[in-house]
Amino acid sequence: MLFTFINSLTLGMAVFLIATGLTLIFGIMRILNFAHGACFMMGAYISSTILGDMPGSVWALIGAALVSGLVVGVFGLIVQHVVLARLHGQDEHFSLIATYAVMLVTAGAIKMVWGLEFHSVDPPPGLDGGVSIFGTFVPSFSLFIIAAGIAVFLILDYVIHRSWGGKLAVAIARDGWTSSLMGINAPLGISVVVTGSFALAGLAGGLLLPNQTLSPVLGDTFLLLAFITIVIGGLGNIRGAFIAALLLAVIDGINAWFLPGSPGTLIYLGMVTCLLLWPNGILGESRL
Amino acid sequence: MSTALAERHTGREQALSRVQINRALIALAALIVLLMPFLVNSGLLYLVGVTLVLAVYSVGWNVLFSWAGLASFGSGGLFCIGAYVAALAIRAGWGEHFLPVIALATLAGALVALLVGLVALRRMSGIFLAILTLSLAELLRHVLMRVRWLGSEDGIPNITRPVLSFGFFDIDLSSGSAYYWFLCVASAILLGICWWLAHGPFGRRLLAVRHDIERASFIGIDVHRSRLVAFVVSGAIAGCAGALYAPWAQIVTPDLAGMVKSTQPILFTLLGGLHSFWGPVVGAFAFMAIDYFTRTLIGIQEVITGGILLVVILVFRSGIAGGWNALLDGALARRGLDRALARQEAR
Repeated sequence: MLFTFINSLTLGMAVFLIATGLTLIFGIMRILNFAHGACFMMGAYISSTILGDMPGSVWALIGAALVSGLVVGVFGLIVQHVVLARLHGQDEHFSLIATYAVMLVTAGAIKMVWGLEFHSVDPPPGLDGGVSIFGTFVPSFSLFIIAAGIAVFLILDYVIHRSWGGKLAVAIARDGWTSSLMGINAPLGISVVVTGSFALAGLAGGLLLPNQTLSPVLGDTFLLLAFITIVIGGLGNIRGAFIAALLLAVIDGINAWFLPGSPGTLIYLGMVTCLLLWPNGILGESRL
Repeated sequence: MSTALAERHTGREQALSRVQINRALIALAALIVLLMPFLVNSGLLYLVGVTLVLAVYSVGWNVLFSWAGLASFGSGGLFCIGAYVAALAIRAGWGEHFLPVIALATLAGALVALLVGLVALRRMSGIFLAILTLSLAELLRHVLMRVRWLGSEDGIPNITRPVLSFGFFDIDLSSGSAYYWFLCVASAILLGICWWLAHGPFGRRLLAVRHDIERASFIGIDVHRSRLVAFVVSGAIAGCAGALYAPWAQIVTPDLAGMVKSTQPILFTLLGGLHSFWGPVVGAFAFMAIDYFTRTLIGIQEVITGGILLVVILVFRSGIAGGWNALLDGALARRGLDRALARQEAR
């Protein structure tokens, strides 16, 4: 029971790690970023190239994740300038399809660079074992992901709701034109947030790398789960995404407990129910 | 006064001739498609047939998008439902009554679209609708992958091509080219229905709704009902296209409900030409050509597809059809100008 729960919570936090970037970019630009899953994958591949099959230590894993976050962030900055900025303020369907195109390009480039073979990376020493909680064996890597999810949530929540820069970003998201009248450099702010969003995708890719089978379809599965999470939580709302990720963990736990033969079914069912009950998400839509 | 009249006259002449040129091109393309079994080998013929089905399916999607302004990201699910209904019916031995089977699949697509539309359309549009339809299709895919009766992940293979029975005479569709021609006829009928819907009063109502919901409702258009009907029609066409696809491919798999199938009409429409009736058809065949020529280049195929899509969205919004029309208009205007100048000099 506890084992199932921890497993589901790990999935929930993993999805949350990916969903943070998605909800950030939605908050600032009202864009649903289809390319996010591919960027997550790019981060994972970059990390695996840095680390090899056997990461040296926990810090090497985190370091590699930060580097891939940086690289993917720079990629995001390029995408923002070349594609997204030009579509800002136009029909939302165009940016939706544009991010889909970016996803195709990214996924194709990943296949060209890293090939179609499956890779796998072991957890680093220190995280490859397990600990015993109330007599249940819990993989320590699961605990690492849960801790990472909570840490990222706390940091982002602080940055967005408490820090000066976060408040500037919120102002730009609410009304870019008025905030530019106040002397805020709105285009710069948007670029920073978009870069941050892509960097979070890369970071998530690096952190979640061990125990995953790296293949070109990795991004799609997580992308859809992350979409569901941010929609249930309320688009653009970090706290909502966190709550929705917890909810997703609970639903997945119930699914694993009662319907072990069909993983994932209840999540989609629950998501559809949630959307119909609260079309704007649990905490409502928010502009950051 | 007389020159103005003359200008107007030549203007009308040009507009007419552009339509005429395009009509001639469509007729030529239709003729080439019809003669395909004599021109290419069976592998390529299969590809053309699939593209034909997908083109019809995309036109159905585009009626929803370009006319009603609603973007569904889950139309693959409806396509999949149609394909599974047809596959099951043929497996159950109803193959002789293929036309009723198609009608059944069409009805299934329409019914599911009606259910989804009834619940979803009043509350949401834009991104929320996109996500909802996307995850509904994904839910369907997950369920199909688990139901053993429907072949789980392997789907239903070995679907026999049916025999059309009209009571007093039968048409055997078991050979590749016979079924191909059946596909051509069915596609033509479906395209005709779509054309009639899009260009009749219903299409105009939808356009009004897309341009301005409030004004449309002020002049007495039932916005919700128009959108719902468009959603159902699009679902019916997706279901019908699925039913046509199943015996042609001879296998149906849960992947038909996946994101790739759902986004295909979007790509086709965008490349072919947004807000153009024939756009998705042009786009479907253009994508078929790209896929065919890059099929051995893993990775590059997606980069090229994505790259083209980006170029279309960023610089070339009206797609191939729009670009072609602009080109044609330019050429015709130049010719008209030349002729007018020549006439003036002669005078």
